Amino acid sequence: MAKAKTPSAADVSPATPQVTAPPQVPQAPDGPETELLREPAEVKYRRELEALRQNESDQAPAAWKLSPRSVLTYITGAKKPLKATIDGKVVEVTITRKFFGDDSIVERSIVTLASERALLLVGDPGTGKSWLSEHLAAAISGTSLLTIQGTAGTTEEQIKYSWNIARIIAEGPKPDNMIQSPCMLAMRAGKIFRFEEITRCVGDVQDALVSICSDKTIAVPELPDDPMVFARPGFNIIATANARDQGVNDLSAALKRRFNYIHIPVVSDQKTEVEIVRTRSAELLERYKIPGRIEEPVLKLLTTVFREMRQGTTGEGLSVQKPTTTLSTAEAIGVALDSAIHSRYFGTGTVGPEDIARNLIGSIVKEDLADLKVLKEYMNLVAKKRAAGDPAWKTFYEAAIKVLSA
Amino acid sequence: MKDLLDAAPGLDANAVEQRAREVLAEPLYWFPVRHHSPTAARYIAEVLRARRPKVIFIEGPAEATELVQHIADPKTKPPIAIYSSYRDDDNVLGLAGIASSAPDVPAKWGVWYPMLPYSPEYVAIRVAKEIGAQVVFIDLPHHGLITPHSAEDAEDEAEADEPEDELDEEDPEAEGAPAEPPTWENLAVESNFYKTLAETAGYRSWSECWDALFEVGGRHADAEEFRRDLTYFCAAVRATTSNDRMVRDGTFAREDHMWRAIATTLAEKQLRPEDAVVVCGGFHLFMKRELVPAKVLPKGTVYATVAPYSYYRTSEQSGYGAGNRAPKYYEMLYQHTQGAGSVVAEAPIRAMVDHVVAVLARGRRAGELLSSADAISITQHARMLASLRGHQAPTLDDVRDGILSCCCKGRPEEEGRYLLTAMTEVEIGSAIGRVTPALGRLPLVFDFYRSIDDLDLGETMGKEKKTKIALDLRQEADERRSVFFHRLAELGVSFAKLLEGGESNTLFREVWRVEWSPRVETELIENNLHGDTMEAAATAKIDEELAREQEDAASVCERLLRATNMDLPGLVLRIEETAGHAIDADSRLVSLARALTHLTVLRRQAARKKIREDVVVDLEGRCFARACFAIPEIANVPVEDHEEVLAALKSVAEALLGDSASTFDRDLFVENVRSAYAESTSPYLRGAMCGLLTETRAQPAEVLSQEILKFAQSRPEVMLTCGEFLDGVMATSRTAIMLGAQSLVEAFDVLLRAASWEQFLTMLPRARKAFERLHDRSRVAFADRVAQLYGLQEGEADKLAQLDTSVGAAVWMARIDARVAEVMKEWDF
Repeated sequence: MAKAKTPSAADVSPATPQVTAPPQVPQAPDGPETELLREPAEVKYRRELEALRQNESDQAPAAWKLSPRSVLTYITGAKKPLKATIDGKVVEVTITRKFFGDDSIVERSIVTLASERALLLVGDPGTGKSWLSEHLAAAISGTSLLTIQGTAGTTEEQIKYSWNIARIIAEGPKPDNMIQSPCMLAMRAGKIFRFEEITRCVGDVQDALVSICSDKTIAVPELPDDPMVFARPGFNIIATANARDQGVNDLSAALKRRFNYIHIPVVSDQKTEVEIVRTRSAELLERYKIPGRIEEPVLKLLTTVFREMRQGTTGEGLSVQKPTTTLSTAEAIGVALDSAIHSRYFGTGTVGPEDIARNLIGSIVKEDLADLKVLKEYMNLVAKKRAAGDPAWKTFYEAAIKVLSA
Repeated sequence: MKDLLDAAPGLDANAVEQRAREVLAEPLYWFPVRHHSPTAARYIAEVLRARRPKVIFIEGPAEATELVQHIADPKTKPPIAIYSSYRDDDNVLGLAGIASSAPDVPAKWGVWYPMLPYSPEYVAIRVAKEIGAQVVFIDLPHHGLITPHSAEDAEDEAEADEPEDELDEEDPEAEGAPAEPPTWENLAVESNFYKTLAETAGYRSWSECWDALFEVGGRHADAEEFRRDLTYFCAAVRATTSNDRMVRDGTFAREDHMWRAIATTLAEKQLRPEDAVVVCGGFHLFMKRELVPAKVLPKGTVYATVAPYSYYRTSEQSGYGAGNRAPKYYEMLYQHTQGAGSVVAEAPIRAMVDHVVAVLARGRRAGELLSSADAISITQHARMLASLRGHQAPTLDDVRDGILSCCCKGRPEEEGRYLLTAMTEVEIGSAIGRVTPALGRLPLVFDFYRSIDDLDLGETMGKEKKTKIALDLRQEADERRSVFFHRLAELGVSFAKLLEGGESNTLFREVWRVEWSPRVETELIENNLHGDTMEAAATAKIDEELAREQEDAASVCERLLRATNMDLPGLVLRIEETAGHAIDADSRLVSLARALTHLTVLRRQAARKKIREDVVVDLEGRCFARACFAIPEIANVPVEDHEEVLAALKSVAEALLGDSASTFDRDLFVENVRSAYAESTSPYLRGAMCGLLTETRAQPAEVLSQEILKFAQSRPEVMLTCGEFLDGVMATSRTAIMLGAQSLVEAFDVLLRAASWEQFLTMLPRARKAFERLHDRSRVAFADRVAQLYGLQEGEADKLAQLDTSVGAAVWMARIDARVAEVMKEWDF
């Protein structure tokens, strides 16, 4: 049997731009603040992960950092804070909810990762597939960075391995001259490998995963003395796919069989959507160091517009046209953030309905100019009527009409 | 269970525990159950065999106690249901006209109490027979819960100033609609204790909560432990349910009745409490042990019986509120705990495996690619999910999620739709029950089977297969079958469905689709409230319908036709009278025209159906005259009503044209159409009326061309409407128009020459639609006229159709054609 190799920074070549190296993330000694624009989940939430580890009461599967139940708690949150010793101090750590929606989606995902099969998260753009994938990998393996971003240009080498050509010419094929892919690193270390947007890759490249999924091996014929790389326990794959891309590069039947598909629906109830927009926009505002927060009525207004236009019906039961764009919750978060930035630098600093109105149009009207008409119709049929009895809607309507007729 | 009580905020866990302990310690042995719970069924059987009580009180409808012997009969096979109906003959509740269609129609109610092979109540009845115990149903008859119509209600309605018939339509408790028996589970779901529990433990439904706590995994060592835990649970539910809620849903009234039944039975039979066992919903264990005066039940006709039922009708998917979400799945769960060698703790796993294999087999039949490897993955997934969720063994929710995770490759509603269908079908199952022949049938059911024998339709019974039966109504036997089928259709019994026939052109032929299913029997039972025989029930049904629609000529005449088809001579006589009034009172052309069509069909059948032709002819004449008077009213109806009034006009005209006996006043028709024509401002309707006048020979065909010429000479905006006019003409005139085809073509040619290109384009769609209304042959005749107008000589037309091509050229053409076909094959459309 081949010798399993522990991954290290030296294993990874910077020459492959779509391949992400295992984490070497600078960490601040105390608290989540670092010099990074965006910290990976395992860094940002390291206190929560550590608290869960210290309070672990179940047995974790081989090579998992946490038990399935703790992974579930990490993602869906806990009501009571956990006591833990972090950096030598006994503190209470609140486990925040990371994924809003049906908890059974998370349960099914965790169970899949503990089983023989790989996990494919599928859903409309902006439904939180990558977000969930990152947190699952962070909680299970302690790293979410063994990732490939699938594109039309992704090659089989980037999934398996490639060679350092200069060293090959000088020394011939040797294990040290191999450039391991994140997938191979994950196999050797028994960690979760993430494959983002798998359906953007062509079928031949996707099929490189068939043997990895079923045999848990990668063959390296160039090294006769060490021709196989075997996966260690704990290895599994989380892939994500955009439901709108299905049929473009659909998975082959062989690969489909090896994946459990978990469909993530667009959040349909307003309460959850408001919660998501509130939490995520607060995080982003913190990241961009924008003071203040978005008030509840404004959040409610924003999510109401998104939900009604997405569903094509209003709260009053009126039918409205749907735009061609996916009005995902992620888009709503984007609008909230843009509005806050706009308000911070060009406005009063408080996000009001007028800021939402100004920043909404770019999210709704993207590719098809006909969506402008759809938005105008919504403003005239719905917002105008509500403006008569609600000052927030009045400000929103007036600002929107001003921008739309400009 | 104690830990759950302690964890619930706002709940006095000690008081709840104390209350539960008191009940459990009583000498009268209370056993809490949930309807259709296999685990409760298994434990109650154990308890009864061990305690061997002399009497068993069961939460079943008291009026059906006498049916217990038939339920326990070995020839009765569940799923079955007790059906209890009540008819308020003397309107003691004052709900006639509110819960029924008219003040003179008695209000009726019916309730089904389903029992499955693993319903604790059914199992208790079977074991009672085995140990020689007496069974007493203790629940309040359902009609004891109907709220009478009070004087205040009447005042409120008067003040509301709403027409009474509208209230009838909005009344959700429609007359005769089978209601559901009240269940404590609704209270459980609403209780704060359950809500807190569901939120904490993440239960998505009451059934999931029940399964996790009480159904699977053998978490209770024995029946006593199960009884204790469920009693604690129900005590907590009851402690967090408001008294108002229990008053509203009749819980207290029912419990008073239950306790009275228990106490009086024990006293009458001089039994000690230790000699009895009470099997009831866990919530009712905490009923007041006080004898209150018996509730006076409303007088009326009460009927109870046992009928075959099906798993589908018991399932939640059929819309049954107190249903079971997966009757077949729970049956498997029950079966695996029965028989020698069965290990209770393994039952959920075995049931899961059976279920998964069955779902995958069903899915494969629907074309899904599902393998045994999938089955292995599903069971592994479900077990791991159960463990993650803290379930002792996989519940149905875990199995469902396992199937979806491992086999659904995308969105469940789209890519997984066949799989979802397979899951639902297998969960529900297709079991149909049987009732012992020892139980007499309801009169209507008896009449149905008697008719089946009389009419030689026995072959259609017993196999759930659709059969097509073609009837020749000139044969007496077929005529009788037709009457029978029409009566069933009137009653809404799904046994027979008319596929062809009933129109004026197929007077002697009818084709029916016949299919027997257990649903037929239940539908008959529901209809027994209308009458004891098919004839009486059908008559009552039509009477009720008539009471609602006395003023609508079309509806009344349609009922008359149906009553004739159903051979209800008494009713026919009564409807004839009503029809006369309805026709005289109705002034809508559409309704009158429909009535006229029905009457025409009826007149043609009069001799065969042995009804008085002179009466029908008289009605027809009155209807025709009324319809004629109504024509001017439609001169300017809105555009959306055009097609409807046009169809009405055409049917009146058809009646006139088909009137060989000169019953109808032709001049009256013409005069009124002319009047409407003069008043109408709609080019389409004007065209239609002009066409009608031509078709009825009231004006020469040339008038049409003159009208078109008028368009050619009018203002541009008027000229544009010529297409609509022409469309109207073609919609009503088919034969007569051909007489003036030459002049029509010439006039149209003048019009087109006068029109600019843009005007022509505007007129084109309607003009094209107009010519498309014509028969192919008529269209060709028009085309010939156009060709002749442009110089085609007589006889030349045939030559144009002749192919004058050499053989060599034809061969080349064929080659080119073949080559083109080959090239096109390579094109990727």
